[in-house]
Parts: sequence; structure tokens; C-alpha cells
Amino acid sequence: MSTASPVKTTAVAAQGVWKAYGSGEAQVVALRDVSVEFASGAFTAIMGPSGSGKSTLMHCLAGLDTTDRGTVTIGDATVSGLGDKALTKLRRDKIGFIFQQFNLLPPLTAEENITLPAAIAGTKADPDWIKQIIHTLDLADRLSHKPTELSGGQQQRVACARALATRPEVVFADEPTGNLDTRSGAEVLRFLRKSVDDFGQTIVMVTHDPGAAAYADRVVFLADGQIVEDMNDPTADSVIDKMKHFEELVAAARDQEEAA
Amino acid sequence: MLRATFKGMASRKARLVLTSLAVVLGTMFVAAAMILTATMEKSVTGVIADAFTGVDAVVTSAEDPAAAQGNTPAATLIPAAVLDTVRGVDGVEAADGDVSGQVNAIGDDGKLVGAFAPTIGFNWNDQSTGYNEIREGRGPEAENEVIVSGQFVTDSGLGLGDTVTAYSYSADRADYEIVGVFGLGGDRDSLAGETQMGFTTTEAQRLLTEGENAYMTIYVEGDDVSTDAIADAVGADYRVQTGDEASEEAAEGFAVVADVMGYIFLGFGLVAVFVSVFLIINTFTIIVAQRQRELALLRAIGAARGQVVASVLAEAAVIGVLASILGLGLGVLLGWGLASLVSSTAMGGLPVQLQVPATALWALAVGIGVTVLSALVPAVKASGVPPVAAMREAVNPPKPLRGITIAGATVTAVGAVLVALGLTDNLGGLGLTGFLAGVGIAFVGITLLTPILSKPLVGLLGAVMSWSFSGRLGKLNAGRNPRRTAITASALMIAVALVTGIATLVSSFKATTEELTDQNLNSDLIVMGQQGANIPTFAPETLAEIKALPDVAAVGDLYGEFFGAEVDGRPTALFASEDLPTSLDIYSGTVAEGSVADLPDDGLVVNESAAADRDLALGDTVPVTFADGETAELRIAAILDDSLLTDGWWVAPAQIEHFTVPKPMQAYIQVADGADVGAVEDQVDDILADEPEVSVANNADFVDQQTSQLDTLLASVQVLLALAIIIAIIGVVNTLVLSVLERTRELGLLRAIGMTRGQARRMITVESVIICLFGAVLGIAVGIGLGWTVQQALEEEGLTSFALPWGLIVGYLVAAVAVGLLAAIAPAARAAKLNVLNAIAYE
Repeated sequence: MSTASPVKTTAVAAQGVWKAYGSGEAQVVALRDVSVEFASGAFTAIMGPSGSGKSTLMHCLAGLDTTDRGTVTIGDATVSGLGDKALTKLRRDKIGFIFQQFNLLPPLTAEENITLPAAIAGTKADPDWIKQIIHTLDLADRLSHKPTELSGGQQQRVACARALATRPEVVFADEPTGNLDTRSGAEVLRFLRKSVDDFGQTIVMVTHDPGAAAYADRVVFLADGQIVEDMNDPTADSVIDKMKHFEELVAAARDQEEAA
Repeated sequence: MLRATFKGMASRKARLVLTSLAVVLGTMFVAAAMILTATMEKSVTGVIADAFTGVDAVVTSAEDPAAAQGNTPAATLIPAAVLDTVRGVDGVEAADGDVSGQVNAIGDDGKLVGAFAPTIGFNWNDQSTGYNEIREGRGPEAENEVIVSGQFVTDSGLGLGDTVTAYSYSADRADYEIVGVFGLGGDRDSLAGETQMGFTTTEAQRLLTEGENAYMTIYVEGDDVSTDAIADAVGADYRVQTGDEASEEAAEGFAVVADVMGYIFLGFGLVAVFVSVFLIINTFTIIVAQRQRELALLRAIGAARGQVVASVLAEAAVIGVLASILGLGLGVLLGWGLASLVSSTAMGGLPVQLQVPATALWALAVGIGVTVLSALVPAVKASGVPPVAAMREAVNPPKPLRGITIAGATVTAVGAVLVALGLTDNLGGLGLTGFLAGVGIAFVGITLLTPILSKPLVGLLGAVMSWSFSGRLGKLNAGRNPRRTAITASALMIAVALVTGIATLVSSFKATTEELTDQNLNSDLIVMGQQGANIPTFAPETLAEIKALPDVAAVGDLYGEFFGAEVDGRPTALFASEDLPTSLDIYSGTVAEGSVADLPDDGLVVNESAAADRDLALGDTVPVTFADGETAELRIAAILDDSLLTDGWWVAPAQIEHFTVPKPMQAYIQVADGADVGAVEDQVDDILADEPEVSVANNADFVDQQTSQLDTLLASVQVLLALAIIIAIIGVVNTLVLSVLERTRELGLLRAIGMTRGQARRMITVESVIICLFGAVLGIAVGIGLGWTVQQALEEEGLTSFALPWGLIVGYLVAAVAVGLLAAIAPAARAAKLNVLNAIAYE
């Protein structure tokens, strides 16, 4: 697995990001001084146990949530400090989303769902590009179907097509295979890999599945709101090993804390 | 189980408040109707009872007064000799005869005194001062003296010392000096806005009993008097009542105004209740849908189906009870307010005595019953939620519409058949009931059909708004749940259908009047009066003066006899014209057989269908009895083609003297070619200066006059629409809030991938406007259908033209858009403010 682009620029970057929820006694710090860069044209997975802050990191990177401190940039645009209108426009124009479920609007056909971001923007999607994605995802004969008439895997493939339709700067995928059977999940992951290899798409994926993480070029591990590991060219086994090791590390740290 | 229900209710406050509002409105109007009627009745009874204070017995003719309608009370008179008999009965301390009837008095402005009725003329005697109080001057002592009521002074512009001209239908004009002014007990000017004149008994008899020494009523005083003793003395020709009985009977007649108002408000209330049913069904369907997982969980942990039904019904019962009690309370206030309003505007400031009748509790029963029954269907559905649904994602696949459509078509057909039978008089005396029931049933049926209709109609309406993407999404959303969209729109549909139906009839009536005037009436000016308690007439000499005007080419005149005449033993209205051929020309009447020229004195002219109805042919003779008792054998001299303006029985001018009022009622003036119509109108106006009952109008003004009352009716019906709109708005808000809640994730997704707040707001607004427009379009269609059906049924009665109230239809559509925009404000704001992260969170 090689990357298409020899010169790596940064697509998304977080610099000293802090994020806390609640206040006083009940305050939970979700991100503590996180700094990370995601290379353009690369497929990066963010892993970590529940409550590690991996989803929060993604939400902050994607302009769905605001940061308390630090800056987030997407391409040459600074995300931090933008108002709702600007954030909305940024998401529409520069970001593609794939969620675990509820990716599609029920009243729209598969094709209408794919071109939804363009429709919202009031522009027309590039027909050749759309054709190419549809072909790659093998959705040509499903275009006029409503989401309820599609299988879970097909629905998620439509979501992938939608995410790529506007050629966004970056695609954020939040547990894209979480709701799928193994075979459908593999199809989706193969497509994501392919879109990075063939189209130079930047993808940041949150997952807790080592098998899914193995499709990525790089895995970033998060625990207690901090980046604890950064691994290149992962395989399922290396990820599992790292996770085991990493759980021991966390447990040790906790023991130390309790002892102190 | 119940605790879970109430805790749940607390978390759904806003929706429950909105739903309650609908129940409150319905209950309020029903209660107000009951209270208005009862309060007016009590108030009127109180006043009348005052008037009967000291009266211990009342003697009237045993003849049913209703049988002797109009201007001929002759049959119900009590000869003076009877008064003497009564005075001789043991225990009678005093007895006096009362003469009263309608008198026309000419006011300061040359027109008749009295806002809506002729003045009541009566004989001022010793008893008159019992209840009436003389404010100024004294009672009449000579035949040319009169005492008038305070209301008369106010209405006529005349006062003590002035001279007033008065006449009756049987007595010519005479001048009277006003020698006194009286008020009623409690320092009021009138009982219910009427004007009164008190004459000496002899003069009252000249005016009202054609000079006969007789009375209409004998009032008896005497603490120990027995009605039986009086009855024995006067014989079976007379009816003897106690003062209380007579008082009650009199009060019944007076309370009619309040009754009519009561019925109108009861109608408003029932429409509000009917519309609320949809709102309640919708709300509970929504609540059940939202609670699906919760209910499934309850079922999974062992709740029985019955318990689930009970938990939903308990919620409905709480709403029903609270809202109905509130509605009843507000209804009491509204009823009291309305009674005060009626009293001050139509009853001469009658003191209002608030009365909350036991029937007002019906409003409570209706409110609670409707709420609980409406919730029954969603409740039973809720109990069908399988326990596994707790474990699954809530998916509500759209249910097939076949069953509901078949049911709707069947119910609509039943309603339509009832309407048709009711309108074609096939239900005997139940025609109106059948028609109204049919309309109600048809509404239910059409409501059941709305889901299937919503598909094409929503698509069509939505197409108009699909120019933007958020508009297109709004359209799609409106079409997603046809049942919900339909039931929401139904509230508006029913209200719009009712007013459109009535508006269609009114515009058809206007068109018919215009058509008759423009096409069938070959005259330029019309002389007639506004029909009140009596038909306005003018002097035959005045008619002659008009005919003599140099610029008048021809005049059609009309005399009429509406009461008391019989043809072949059946009560029949008779008409006559001094110059029938000319009049027929002007009315576009055509002769089918025979001739109307030189009509002999015993000649009779009738239209074809009336003749056929009685099996009469040209040359046949028929016995005719006139109102004055004169009988004659009349021969049919001509048969007319049927035409609305000339249908009926025409007698020769020589018979006019036998009419109750031997004066012309109307004149239709044809102005000579080239003459100025306006100038002639002025000349006729001058001639009519001394005719208080009639005035002259050109054709356009005439149509306006004829239809102005309908405009008032229409305006008051719009109030109904306004009321239903309030409920409809609540319904739309309810549905939209639910849509926003249900589609939280969709909205979150849309916002995540770049939909702006403005776009989200527009999407909800379009959905709202489409729902409202759908209701309005459907309502307009149903209303037009309703109006057309009634117009068709009335075509033979003369409602020949069908016309659509275009202005109002456009108005209703605009109103529907406005309602849609208004209803969308809160739900759209909610959608725009949605927290994207929360919406898409699934952990």
C-alpha cells in the first residue's frame, strides 16, 4: 500500500487543543493539549477506548464542536473561532462526513442523497466525478432506490459517495463500519482505501476496530484526552499488540495515580 | 403505571397545553351558547314577570293567534260585553281590556319610527300605570292625544307637545299631540328596543280593531279570583290563564333573539369540538409514537395491553377534565358578555341576570368525552406495540392507505346520499336534519379520504415551492406521512369548506338577483321598502302621480295579499296589478294561453305549474275567498309561462279592495328613451317624500339593498373561520414540532453536511405552508361542492345562477399561507437552533 502523492502537505491540523465539558466538580476534560497533523492524501485512523476523547477530537477537527483553547486548521482555513454560518459553509464546502448510522435522508433517493451537499449549496455536482464514484462503489443500479430499500452496506456505500461527491479537503468517518456485518464493512473500508490511493482523498476515521484501523496508513491512539501513540503502516496484529500494551500502560498509570 | 403516565405528561407540557387549548375553545363556545340562551331567558322572564305584577288572571281568545297572522286580528277579538261579564265574576277587583297592535308613526325624518318593527300601539288605561311610569305630562284623554314611550322619543326625534302622524293598516292617517312620555319599570325606555304609543281606548280601537268595541286581552286583578270561575263565566270561546302562566308565555316569545344567538354559538362550539377531535387524535398519535420504545419497554417488563391503553387514556382524561373545566369557566364569562351585548344592542338595555343552566354541564361532558374518545384509537394502537420494539430502532413504515380510503369513500357516499335526500324533500319533515347530518357524515368521510388525496395534491402544491432545495425537502417532508398531513389539514379543511359553502350560496344568490334585475326586469327604477314585520306599502294616489311624470314611459305595479286569502280552500298568496299587461311586459312575463288584456273582474291569471298543480285549465272556475271574507268564483282567463318574477295567482284590479292592505307594495318604473334616469329618480323621490315606508332606488342600488343583509351574514360566518383557524394553527404547530422531533437526526445530518440555519427554517416553513394550503384547497373544493349541491336543490325555488366567490377564495388561500407561516415560526426556530452534535450522537 503506497500513497499516491510523494509530497505530503498537511490537510488538517490541531495545535494545543483543549476541550472540557461541564464545570466545577462535574467537569470532564475531553481533550488535553492535543496537537496533531493529518497529511493530505493519507488515510489516518484515530483509536482509543470509550471516553478517550477520540470522537470529541474528530468533532473539533470537523467544525462540529468548538475548542476551548488551541487552533484547528483545515487546509489554509482556520476553523477555531468561526461562527455558525462560516462553520456551516466550511463543512459544506471542505468536509465530507460518514457517520455510523443515519447517514441518509429517507425521502430522497440514493442519487439525491449523493448530490445532497451540492443541492444544499445550490450548486451542481460534477457529473463525471459523480459517475466515477458511483461506478467505483457499484451503486449504478441502486440510484433510484430510497434508503429503506437498500441494505445497510449499500446505505453506507451511498454515504461514502455522498462524502466524496464535493471533492472535500477531508472526509471524516465516524465508526463507518460500526453498524455493518464484516463483509459489508470490508467493502466500505476497501473503498475508503481506494479513494485515498486512486483519488488522493484525505480521510480521518474514528474506529475502535483494529481490523478497520489496519486499512489506514497511520493510527493515532488517544487516551484520557491525550495522544499516547502514533503508528505508521499498521496491521491488525500490530494494532492489537499496541492496544494490549497500551491498556497495560494505562492501567499502570491509573495504579500509580491511585497509589499517589 | 399511572405515576409513569403523569411524569411523562410533565415532560410534554407544551404539546399538552396546545391540545388543551383546542378542547378549551370547543367547550367554551358550547357552554357560552347554553349560558347565553338561559341568561337571556331568565332576564326576559324577569322583566315580563315585572310587567305582569298584580295581574292575577288573563283572558284571551281561545282561537290560536298563530292562525290569524298578519294584519287581521279580527278572529281573536274579545267583544266589550265579555269584559263586563268578567268584571261581574266573584273575586274580581278590577278588570280592563287591552287593545294593542302595530301602528305606523312617522318620525321627524319623514320615515317610520322604530328601528326594525312598527310601533306598538295600545290603549292607555288605569292598568297602564301599574307597570309603566309617566315621566312627563299625562295619559291621553282625547282621541287626538297620545302618550309615547321613552324609546319612541329617542327614535322619532319628537317630544312632549309635538304633533305626530300615525296610521295603521286598517285606519288612515291622523295627527296626535304628544301629551305624555312614559318609561318602563326600572327607568328603562323599552322592554327590548320597541317603540310604543298609548291612545285612548276608542282611538286604539279605531286604529286596531277597525273601530269595533273589542279587546285583544283582558287583564284581571283580584287576590282571590279563580281562573275556573272566570272560565265558567266567559265560556269555551275564551282562554283563561293565571298571571304567571301568561307571563311565561309572553317571555317565550321574547327570548327568541337569544335563542337564535344561542344556536349560532352552539354551532360555532360544535364546529370547534369537531375540529378539536382531529387535533386530539393527532396529538395522542404523536405522543404514542414518541413513547413507542417506552411503551414497548413497559410491555417487555410485564405491563398488560389494557394497562398501556389505560395509561394513554388517563393522560387524555386529565387533559379533558382540566381543559373542559377551564373552558366551562371561560364559557360562563363569554356567555355573560354575549348576553350583555345582545341586551344592549338588541334588547334595549335589558338588565342581565346571569344564569348557568344545568345544560352547561353538557359542555363539560362533551369536552371530556371528545378528548377521551379521540385518544382511544391511538391508545389501542399503542397497546399493539410489540415488546421487541423496545430493542429495535423505532421504524414506523407508512401504513397502506387502502382500508382508510375504502372506509372514507363509503362514509362520504352515505353522507352524500343523506344530503341529496334531505335537499330533495325525500325525508319528509326531517329534510333539514337529514341534510345537516349528511354534511357532517360527508365531512368525516372526506377526512378519511384526505390521506389518499394528500399524495397528488401535496406534490402539486409543493411543486410551486420547489424552486429552492430547502423548499423541495419541505415538500417531501409534507408528503412523508400522508395520514398525519391529512389529519392536520382536515381541521382547516372543515372550516374553509363551511364558509366557502355559505359564501358560494351568497354569491349565487347575488348573481341570481343581478340576473333577474338585469335581464328580466325591464325597468330603470324600483319603488319598494325594506321588508320588516310588515310589508311596506304606499298610497295608490302616489302610484298615479309617478305614472303621470312626463319622463316615465311605463310603470309596473304590484299589490299583494299574503295572509288570509284562499284559492279552492287552500291558503294562497294573491297578486294584482292596476295594469297587468304593462306590468307583465316589465317583469318579462309571457302569456302561454288566453289573454291578459281587458282582464274581467272575475278573471284569474296563473302560471303554468301552479295551474297544473291544482289541475286547472284555461276557462275553469275556482272559488276564491278574500281576507275580508268576500268570496267569488273566478275564471282562469290566462295562463302564464313559468317565470320567477310573475309566478303566482293574479286577480283583477277590481278585487284589490278585498285585500288586507289595498295599497301597492312595489312599482317598477320604465324611464322614457333618452330621459335622464337620475332626474326621474329625483322626481320620484320628491313624490315619495310623504311615503314613510318606501323609497326609490335604481337597479344597481336595488341589488345592493337586496344582498346587503347577506353580506352581514357572510361576515359573521367568517368569525367561524377565525375560530377554526386558531385551532388549525395549534394543530399545524403540533404536527411540525413532532416532525422536528422525529427528524432530529435528519436535521442533524443536514446541518452537519452544510445546511444553514436559514435553510432549515425555510424547510419547516414550506412544510407548514403546504399543509395549510392543502387544507384550504381541499376545503374550498368541498365548500364549492356543498354550495353547488344546495344551489342545484334550490334552483326550482329560484336560485338559478351559480357563482363562485372568487375574492373570498383567493382570500382563503392567502389566509392559509399566512397561517402556515405563523404556525411554522416556533417549530422552525426549534429546527434552526438544533444542537448538531446532540442530534447526531448515538452513544
